[in-house]
Amino acid sequence: MSGAFHGSAPDGVWGERLHAPLMSTSGNIERMFQSATAEAVEERARQRRGWNRHHSLPYTLVFLIVAYLGVFILFPIAQQFLTSFSNNVVGVDKVTWVGLRNYERLFEDEDFWFAVQVTFTYMAFVVVGAVSLGLLAALLLNRKFRGRNLARSAIAVPWAFPEISAVLVFLWMCNPTFGVMNVFARLIPGIENNLNWLSDPKLAMPLVIALSIWKAFPFTFLVILAALQAIPRETYEAAEVDGANPLQVLRHITIPEITPTLLLMAVLMSIFSFKQFTLIWLTTGGGPYGGITETLVLRIYQTAFRFFDLAYGATLGVSGFVIVLGLTLLFVYAQQRQDRARRR
Amino acid sequence: MAASSTAAVHKLRRLGKGVAFYALILGFCAAVLFPVYWMIVNSIQPLSHGMQFPPPLIPKEISFLPFITLFENFPVARWLVNSLLLAGMTTLIVLALAVLGSFAMTFLRWRGKAAFGLLLLMTQMLPEALVVIPVYAMYRNLGLSDSLPALSLVDAAFILPICIWILKNSFDSIAEEIYEAALIDGCSPLGALVRTLLPLSAPGLVAISVVSFFYAWNEYLFAVTLVTSPDIRPVAVGLASLKVMLDTPIDRVLAAALFFSIFPVIFYLLIQRYIVAGLSAGAVKG
Repeated sequence: MSGAFHGSAPDGVWGERLHAPLMSTSGNIERMFQSATAEAVEERARQRRGWNRHHSLPYTLVFLIVAYLGVFILFPIAQQFLTSFSNNVVGVDKVTWVGLRNYERLFEDEDFWFAVQVTFTYMAFVVVGAVSLGLLAALLLNRKFRGRNLARSAIAVPWAFPEISAVLVFLWMCNPTFGVMNVFARLIPGIENNLNWLSDPKLAMPLVIALSIWKAFPFTFLVILAALQAIPRETYEAAEVDGANPLQVLRHITIPEITPTLLLMAVLMSIFSFKQFTLIWLTTGGGPYGGITETLVLRIYQTAFRFFDLAYGATLGVSGFVIVLGLTLLFVYAQQRQDRARRR
Repeated sequence: MAASSTAAVHKLRRLGKGVAFYALILGFCAAVLFPVYWMIVNSIQPLSHGMQFPPPLIPKEISFLPFITLFENFPVARWLVNSLLLAGMTTLIVLALAVLGSFAMTFLRWRGKAAFGLLLLMTQMLPEALVVIPVYAMYRNLGLSDSLPALSLVDAAFILPICIWILKNSFDSIAEEIYEAALIDGCSPLGALVRTLLPLSAPGLVAISVVSFFYAWNEYLFAVTLVTSPDIRPVAVGLASLKVMLDTPIDRVLAAALFFSIFPVIFYLLIQRYIVAGLSAGAVKG
């Protein structure tokens, strides 16, 4: 492509593309520079300064999307913020502003702090479990063998499985009378009687965590496997020449190479587990008692739809929003790290 | 003699290692798939076999009665139609908006891309439970509750950001020269999008269709909150309602759940490559 040819392009779109370093990948920019001649660069710079009739197109498109998300996500969030400063409870005669009263209540509310504790416990176990199980499965399948694609698809099934279906079969497996879990539990020496599973306060949380990991780890597995396969062969060959044993290779080559991916997966899993409603709500409903499996998300829902305390529910929602902001920043950090690693 | 015997030992050891490896893989897959297996077993054997302790791990008798009676016991056909409508509408909305959004993210230049990307990320991370209360209030005030199209609008808003990332990844892999060439040939930017970019990103379009379709298909929280009349319940809500009915025969419940799961499993497995690439690499470039 010659410079003159570019120059004849209508609307100076080329010129705009060249100066789009904000979001486009470094590869794009390099490619553009390679194909550009000096005149073309000048021509584009000239066009860039001018306004053209397609200039407003991206803004129109983005406005459309932002407006759409605005109605269904941003506006409701803003409304939650406002509600959290009111005394809006279903049935209250007159809704008035109460300032920071709901937030004062929040800080003294032991149930809230307990829910936060439950949330982070649940998140920590799901993140560690899903990432390490995904890594284990990916390492296992990261070599050529007959039937590998079949095995990979088999492991991916829980990810594709609807949450409701997973819940229904899980509840049946955990049935205290007929559940198959008791068949397995009785294989463990010392267990003679059927366990109560989800109604047992000691077992409820581990079970919910196990179900969540089962549902989530196939995704980390697929991504980590893709990352493992992107490691160049030469990296391993050098280690083999040096006579490193498999464990050393794993520790000093494989793991460092995929650390950014592992980090990204950890953040994605913390988001998955923070958002999780269906798997917990339909299995334990936050119980068996005392809210021992009631995460913040469930507590928000309960406060508004069971206790009809809209204002306090909104206040809890705002605290959840703060956590989401924190997670978003973590995600951006993890992404940038992976991006840097990829370019290296 | 000695040499050949050491070779044989070597061979045997390799064989043993191979067998152990396959056993490990097989065991792992079996453990992962056990709940699915258990669902199938319990929906194709007579109810009495599942309702005993210990239950047989391998079905002794096959009966398709649960699958047949399933349609008589619950309004499964009704639920399925509702879910198809809901998921279909969601997919159309997402397709239209994600194409425009990803196009703006990749082939157009404008100020505020980074902010827009951050907004998408944040909305993608927002728990549904955080907005379900105000959305419920809004819909009640507008008289929109109990409507599948209204529900599909909410579902689409929640899955749209991820779909934009996935499609952006697909657009990123298209050489810019192709887009430029279309512009030089006299296409408007949108014309170039429709004529050259869309045909080239078919896998990405299929991927976001599947993702958005089954998001609406599986989604529970919005559906159970915004839809109250039993007539327009989608399958997810219908199935969940069986959980609390104590006398529902479990074989039929699991048969219904299995029926409900077949489609997402098949479609997700077919396109998993694109979703994984879109969610890991596509998002990374954001």
